Amino acid sequence: METQIASLRKERKISQEELALAVGVTRQTITSIEIGKYTASLPLAFKIAYYFGLAIEDVFDFSKCIEEMEVDNG
Amino acid sequence: MDKYKKVLKKRIVLLTALILLVVCIGIYDVFFTTETIKESFIFGFQLGASLAIGIMSVALMVYYLKILADDKKLKLQYNKENDERLKTIRAKAGMPMLFISSVCMIVIGIIAGYFNPIIFITLVIVAAVQLLIGVVIKQIYLRKL
Repeated sequence: METQIASLRKERKISQEELALAVGVTRQTITSIEIGKYTASLPLAFKIAYYFGLAIEDVFDFSKCIEEMEVDNG
Repeated sequence: MDKYKKVLKKRIVLLTALILLVVCIGIYDVFFTTETIKESFIFGFQLGASLAIGIMSVALMVYYLKILADDKKLKLQYNKENDERLKTIRAKAGMPMLFISSVCMIVIGIIAGYFNPIIFITLVIVAAVQLLIGVVIKQIYLRKL
């Protein structure tokens, strides 16, 4: 899943370690989420969005999920 | 974080008990075991395993004591233990059941080995292969996720 985490971090000058410490995960997990290797759970996605003061859909790109859902439902 | 501090303190107490147990086993092995048992290669394995467990327990205890003294390290360790990605990876690698069953196999193998060395060798090999598979799967998923 694509996310805006990396750009939001750069914009606000926050390191991966700072974000990881704030949301209760390791730095490696933040890296994995940023590069799209790992999809965060709903509570973690909420924590990250809350940390940036944004809504989940402003941080995580759900367009592929919507496309998949539309294809599945015909 | 206070709850986690209590958890670490409990772990330190358990490790201290384990170290004392290993010391007792060591004293029994050195001073009270018969020469016939001492000649067995299983006795050597048991002594070595006890020593390794003792050293690892001391190292872990020192590590926990250091973490308890530093709030940032404490938070980092807490995050490491509760990280959802690492939890998923551990679950995929079959941990902690694979580790528990391997330890049980080794303990049973040591006891059974005094009666039949073939059982000891079989169980230790199975436990080692099991652990190796777990480690390999963990490494694969650490790169994949």
